[in-house]
Amino acid sequence: MVRHRALTLLLVAAVVVPAQASDAYRIGMSVAITGPAAGIYAPAFDAYKVYFKRINDAGGINGHPVEIMFEDDRGEPSRAAANAKKFSEGVILIVNASISPTYKPLMTEADAEKIPLLFGGGVCPREAFPPAHPLIFCSTSFGAQWDSRFAVPFIKAHAGSKAKVGFVAQNIPVSQAEMEFAEKLAREQGLETLPVIVVPGGSADFTPFAAKLKDAGADWVLSWAPWPLEIGVFEALGRIGWTGRYVTYAHQPAQDDLARLKSPNLFAFGGNAMFTEGLPIHKEIEGAVKGQTSHPPHYLVEGWVSAMVLEQALRKCGWPCSKDKLAQTLATVSVDTRGLRGGPIEWTAENHYRQRAYYKVYRWDTGQRAVVPVGGWTKLDVK
Amino acid sequence: MQAVAGVVVLASLYVLLGVGYVLVYRASRVLNLAQGDLMMVGGYALFAAVTTVSASPLIAVPLALAVGAAAGVVVYALLMRPMAGHPVFAAVLVTVSLGILLRVAVVLVYTDQARYPLPAMDLGNPPVRLPGGAAVSTLDALTVISAAALLAGLLAFLRLSRLGIRMRAAAERPLLAAQRGIDFHALFALSWALASFAGALAGVLYASNVRLDPSLGILGLKAFAVALVGGLDSLGGLVAGALIVATVEVLTIRHVNPLLSDVSPFLCLLAMLLVRPWGLWGTREELERV
Amino acid sequence: MAHGSGYFKTTYEADMALVDTRLRRLTLAALVVLLAALPRVASPFSLELVTQTALAAVGALALNVLTGLAGQISLGHAGFLCAGAFTVGILVESVKAPPLVTLPAAALVGALLGTLVGVPSLRLKGLYLALGTLAMHFVVLYAASEYQARWGFNTGVSVPAPTIAGIRFRSGLQWYYVLVAFAALTTLLSVNLTRSRVGRAWMAIRDREIAAASLGIAVARYKLLAFVASSVVTALAGAVWAYYRSFVSVEAFSFFVTIEFIAMIVIGGMGSTLGALLGASFVTLLPYGIDAVVGALAPGGAAPYWLFPLKFGAFGLLMALFLLFEPLGLVGIWRRARTWIVLWPLRYAPLRSAR
Repeated sequence: MVRHRALTLLLVAAVVVPAQASDAYRIGMSVAITGPAAGIYAPAFDAYKVYFKRINDAGGINGHPVEIMFEDDRGEPSRAAANAKKFSEGVILIVNASISPTYKPLMTEADAEKIPLLFGGGVCPREAFPPAHPLIFCSTSFGAQWDSRFAVPFIKAHAGSKAKVGFVAQNIPVSQAEMEFAEKLAREQGLETLPVIVVPGGSADFTPFAAKLKDAGADWVLSWAPWPLEIGVFEALGRIGWTGRYVTYAHQPAQDDLARLKSPNLFAFGGNAMFTEGLPIHKEIEGAVKGQTSHPPHYLVEGWVSAMVLEQALRKCGWPCSKDKLAQTLATVSVDTRGLRGGPIEWTAENHYRQRAYYKVYRWDTGQRAVVPVGGWTKLDVK
Repeated sequence: MQAVAGVVVLASLYVLLGVGYVLVYRASRVLNLAQGDLMMVGGYALFAAVTTVSASPLIAVPLALAVGAAAGVVVYALLMRPMAGHPVFAAVLVTVSLGILLRVAVVLVYTDQARYPLPAMDLGNPPVRLPGGAAVSTLDALTVISAAALLAGLLAFLRLSRLGIRMRAAAERPLLAAQRGIDFHALFALSWALASFAGALAGVLYASNVRLDPSLGILGLKAFAVALVGGLDSLGGLVAGALIVATVEVLTIRHVNPLLSDVSPFLCLLAMLLVRPWGLWGTREELERV
Repeated sequence: MAHGSGYFKTTYEADMALVDTRLRRLTLAALVVLLAALPRVASPFSLELVTQTALAAVGALALNVLTGLAGQISLGHAGFLCAGAFTVGILVESVKAPPLVTLPAAALVGALLGTLVGVPSLRLKGLYLALGTLAMHFVVLYAASEYQARWGFNTGVSVPAPTIAGIRFRSGLQWYYVLVAFAALTTLLSVNLTRSRVGRAWMAIRDREIAAASLGIAVARYKLLAFVASSVVTALAGAVWAYYRSFVSVEAFSFFVTIEFIAMIVIGGMGSTLGALLGASFVTLLPYGIDAVVGALAPGGAAPYWLFPLKFGAFGLLMALFLLFEPLGLVGIWRRARTWIVLWPLRYAPLRSAR
């Protein structure tokens, strides 16, 4: 009898989704927990887990717990599609933290079922920028076009107009397009530019690409790509004795690598304050995730910010909160990031990226022997 | 000049990786698709040794290499020996699953995050200036030296030592060798140990020079194009194969299309398969044997 | 085919019939009814799983024809899929071609690619051939990524829902029927190929090429045919994938996909149609099965991090275990079970051992 019950249970579990807790906010999250991109996205999984466990332990939101279905997509579109189907039964929001090939299946499902979709960790899709798609939101710190609008003037301010600037992209469309945009921007601002160098992500050795940059005589190099490539090319340049300056987007591992390389020539700019600043919110995150994650606390910041946005949206949405209502609520959030970013994340019906983008630059200071900010936050209006 | 230096360094890395394919292939006609993952495990063994045993490279590096060699023996005993008598393709597939298992084991312990053993050993990697305005890193130079030393050592071992001669005999005519009382399994285990040792050496150097993450194994696939171009059963051909593939790769990056460089080893492989399928120095009859 | 029962076929019709016993007819009818009725009871998610399995089955059957029947090892399966999918993607994106154009075009591309890879197979054997197909995989992927990067499709090339004969295929239910039918057709094709002259020629080549040639089998022609047949079906599967997923992207066709397909036919049982079907179901459903078990054991959804790599590891481990301990695959287990049931309570068939 017992054996039969166990067997039936297994069968039922295989066919039917786990019983729906009708009194909880149900969220689906598709994350690259494993697979080649997991190093970047798996921390978002831990961030969400810790963040909402804290909230649920404290009584939930509006008296209701938040229940998150975590599904691994390995960065593969097929798995993301299956996850989306799984989510379509009763979740009020889908969160994505994965590489861009997983976006399309989720967007298709979100569109068909009218479920809002929040990108919290991966690059922001075009649909989140004004004019925004009503269902697509993005809290990730980096976004195409705006990042270069900050980085190119930064280079110009530090290099003067005589510098020769090189550009490094990875062979993924978003990175390539961004560097071509930056190259155009730099030319318009009177800088001397070199053609964009596109590097395959799986390269064993970045040295040949670095040699090409060095031989072309680049004084400054700008790179906007996944972190392994950004830092890989910089290190390859260092190995062949290049002494120019390198500006790159500060993804989550940036602060470790700035401290590891101790190079005064490496500038990392980004939307998140580095944990080296030791703000109260940083201490709070470090305390909260202690023992709960196998990643360093600062890797969790993208996921954490996105969870903050979600928390506020759910609070404002009240109870019961349908997917339509949540989509409308998301378009009105204004989240105080408490120093994690340079300013609040504010969304409107038109703009699901942010009203203002904030950037800060960090580098290794040889005198202080520490990673320090170069100046304060710079603000750009996103139109 | 920088390009030439780049070719030599890249070719050395390919040689270190390719040695593993050739040794295992000679012994058992199996293509070890987990060679790249064995390399990755070698890198992680170094990282583990540095962080848990001793930060001194004099202790950590030999330890990592020993772990690498031991891993080869374990793999042979647990996975490859039971596959004797099965179709070769099945054995190749077993190495594929071995690669998956190794990756999972590493991810479970160290997650997917990138690791850097070199700073943990408190060592730097300063550039070495070469004539002609070129420069390579210290570890690049070490990679070249290690590849040369490993090849020279292996050739001497196979030519001169009794064990090496037995290995060649077993590879050339398994039946005859067995009838002369050569212990096959010991020799095969030795081949695996040497292959895995070479992989670990590549892993230790690459991890120190560049970085360490669980997807390093992909490099192995490129090196395997190298082994085929040189001839799957020829150590000498490996050097030529590595130089050809590395030259084509660096030239495509510089003068054709950087994106093409990713597939250029496979284009070399295809070209070789069309012209001379057994590779530059490979044995011609190999084709019939597999 | 009646096992050890002493009944033998006495007419050609009986020998050629696809379903020969009443039990088989009943099983088949039950299967058809089950598949037709499933959408009424199953959740959209389980339906999606069955649909995915059906698509995987098409790919596995195609690979089984090439590797299992004809004995030609291919590591380029994902490349063929990619070629088919991108044919659709490019044609739809550039000239808005309808499915009646794109599907034959994908089949044609598959045939060309199959010939291209098949020709070296006349010279190369075993591992060398496998390497050639592997190289082909990377070249196809490179071409596709060039296209994707050049035109700036970050999240892949969009493929809108296809319209055939006035019906727009977009709901999960429609795709369920389409893909199950596709899988059923491929199964029928595969079964008929296996028991026809072509299939026998392939098996002869697989078992001993020289012997096959001396029996008068045109080895070169049949080898090429195996490549073309397999790659046409695979490219079609890729094309349907593109429509079903409504986008194509290079990342969906990594080398790991090839490994998965190989695992399907290995775990299922090389050379057997039933094996390919079982293997496709097993490999596709395994991760979800582990999910379900863990979900049942630890409700609440907060699955620990280590579970996810482990799920990936389970795939590798099972593949290794099958190769080591059950080279005949799931179908081997099935056959043993069947024999055991037929013979019960005896343990051996006395006649068979005497033969």
